[in-house]
Amino acid sequence: MFEWMVWTGPTAAVFAGLGLLLCAMTIWARVSPPVPRRGFLRIETDRGDRLYIGLISGAAVLAGWIAVTDLSMWLALAAAFLVVLAIGIWG
Amino acid sequence: MTAALPSRTEQRREQRTERRTRRTRRTAPSAEDRAPGKRRANRAWLLVLPVVVSVAFTAVIPLMTVVNYSVQDIFSPNDRIFVGLEWFRSVARDPEVRAAFVRTLLFSAQVLLLEIPLGVAVAVVMPRRGLGAPAALVLVALPLLIPWNVVGTIWQIFARPDIGLGGWTVNNVLGLDYNYTLDAGDAWITVLVMDVWHWTPLVALLAYAGLRSIPGPYFQAAQIDGASAWATFRHIQLPRLRGVLTIAILLRFMDSFMIYTEPFVVTGGGPGNATSFLSILLSKIAVGQFDLGPAGAFSLLYFLAVQIVCYVFFTVLTRTGR
Repeated sequence: MFEWMVWTGPTAAVFAGLGLLLCAMTIWARVSPPVPRRGFLRIETDRGDRLYIGLISGAAVLAGWIAVTDLSMWLALAAAFLVVLAIGIWG
Repeated sequence: MTAALPSRTEQRREQRTERRTRRTRRTAPSAEDRAPGKRRANRAWLLVLPVVVSVAFTAVIPLMTVVNYSVQDIFSPNDRIFVGLEWFRSVARDPEVRAAFVRTLLFSAQVLLLEIPLGVAVAVVMPRRGLGAPAALVLVALPLLIPWNVVGTIWQIFARPDIGLGGWTVNNVLGLDYNYTLDAGDAWITVLVMDVWHWTPLVALLAYAGLRSIPGPYFQAAQIDGASAWATFRHIQLPRLRGVLTIAILLRFMDSFMIYTEPFVVTGGGPGNATSFLSILLSKIAVGQFDLGPAGAFSLLYFLAVQIVCYVFFTVLTRTGR
């Protein structure tokens, strides 16, 4: 049925990860509702906002990395992960 | 008479209560708010379900497919090779794509710098009452009613130096050497002026609606204070337009950053690559060459750029100073 979507293992894993992340955030929000606060981003954000900003910033790190350097993309992934984590915790 | 005024202690007590209420509002919802009785109200989410399904069907699933395309070299659905991030690398390092990106960003910046102040200025001078109000509304809204490709065709003829009224006037009345089919600068100005003509009315109508919603007493107060027209605009009208201008800026940015039809019809991206914006280049790769892999990677990078700029605009316009 979904053959026309030409799925690959890695892209399926990425989307499954994103889906699980959204489910986990929803459950977390039910258990402990998010409280908006200000961090180094200097705007009021709750944890969902910070996740979105973190993911977009992480994607920008990956895109910037691939555009300028031949260094391993695993390093880029680690950098992106650190960005997501930093924004999530202190953003 | 003094007995009617609240005492200092009462005033302090009121301030304390207000501070406490404000603090409580900023904390998480209380257990009462999350009681089972309240949870029943969440059934309203079912009403959103049709939208979720239609967005998934028309946007999310096609976007997932584009992600799948972007990591493969596709010859047919059954004949494809996984290439990892190769297409992203080649697209992100392609000088033609980078030049188109800078060009598109520059075009969007110019569109915003021209259309937003011009739209607000038009809205400020538009009549608010009498016969002039509906007449002005119809006149201003007219360019918005014309389909994109027709706007392109109108301007393609209008700007021609031989038979177009605009092009002929610039050459023979103003004495300037203008030919948008040969000169890159002329082509750029033509596309820019066409966009300003087509879309400034949208900004003007949004700003007009925003201005109409400002209550009369604000202007009466300004008049009593002897405020000048500029002071009234700067301190009353402009702050009250914040909401509609946020929408106008976002709409105009997204639309101009993805502009395709009008420059495609007028200049076809030329002369040379002078008006080859990202969307024109993308459609050339996706539809012209049928290179689905590179086109998928290109689309995702394009999508990311739109997301980042829009989010930054939205955040700056709505959250700063809160």
